[in-house]
Amino acid sequence: MAQGQKAERMSRAPWEPYAARLWDRWTALERDWRSVAVGAMVVGSVALLDLQVPW
Amino acid sequence: MAVRRLGPGIVVLCLGAVLARGIADVGGPNHLLVAIALGFALGNVVGVPDRLAPGIATHKLWLGAGIVLLGASLSLEAVLEVGGPVLAVVVGVTGLTLVLVEVLARNVFGLADRLSSLLAAGASICGVSAVVAVAGVLEAKEGQIAYAAATVLLFDAITIVVYPIVGELLGLSGIVFGIWAGVSMFSTGPVVAVGFAHSEVAGQWATMTKLTRNALIGVVVLAYASYYARSGSAGAGDGRSLGLLWAEFPKFVLGFLALAVLSSLGAFSPDQQASIENAYGWLFLLAFVGLGTEIRLATLRATGSAPVVVVLVALLVASVVSLGVLTVLF
Repeated sequence: MAQGQKAERMSRAPWEPYAARLWDRWTALERDWRSVAVGAMVVGSVALLDLQVPW
Repeated sequence: MAVRRLGPGIVVLCLGAVLARGIADVGGPNHLLVAIALGFALGNVVGVPDRLAPGIATHKLWLGAGIVLLGASLSLEAVLEVGGPVLAVVVGVTGLTLVLVEVLARNVFGLADRLSSLLAAGASICGVSAVVAVAGVLEAKEGQIAYAAATVLLFDAITIVVYPIVGELLGLSGIVFGIWAGVSMFSTGPVVAVGFAHSEVAGQWATMTKLTRNALIGVVVLAYASYYARSGSAGAGDGRSLGLLWAEFPKFVLGFLALAVLSSLGAFSPDQQASIENAYGWLFLLAFVGLGTEIRLATLRATGSAPVVVVLVALLVASVVSLGVLTVLF
């Protein structure tokens, strides 16, 4: 049992706990704020990274 | 985990969006209306498989994000120029619809008080979201919520088809058609869809007008909370007025306003502006494929005739009055 848990822990990528924490925070947000966050991400990508969105 | 749960449905929304663009490009109807039609076909002909449902349910998130981005393409000058009269029309028509549905439903058709209030909120403010918000404060029964929501959805489906036809027949300008749709149609998604299906200007005005109307939800919920608390028939109205106003306020309006201000200050280059506009175009397409899946024939058939007649009369009155006023004003 303990060995199984250890093996599972070792097989997880190092970024997984951070991703899980980020996902928890995301799901705790109200949907309207999530929309604002998606909008901010798009604007940030366009303004800072010069992302071109084709149509 | 989340990718596996949401991914398949979101991929289907993306495929639907690309397909809608493709069909519209080869001479079909407007891409937003095609997106809704594709979603409708998926929901009613094939049926949405359980595996796709969580991802498809994200469509409201994309609609909100699209509306936030729409703020970047607005001219605050134009908004301020005609903002006063539009605000007056929004408040007037919202109040008229609310009172009309309440009076017709209770006094003419003898519907239950709570069902009448749910229908009034849905017809006057923002569709199913308003029904759910008001249901929370007046402790409505599940059946009444479903009934009111189905009635609102029925009219969403009808107005998506009828408004563009009427707008075309009457040769309405973009600004008049946009404000008219924003002030008299029910849910935000269909308003944005028919607005942009008419023209870019109509889409922008339809969205702004609808957001103004949506912002009134807090006031209406608060009014219902105190009314039902005073009549002793619900446990709402516990004095959390400001909290309730904030809880019901559509927060993506703040993102929309922030971008409108940034854009008016010249924060974006023309290329960036074009990219943001393309981004909201795609987000709306994703949202409308999902919205189409929610228009279910089975649910629409379940609506009763009395609520339908009440809401139809209110819609016709609100529609004719607002169109008359807007034609005089603009």
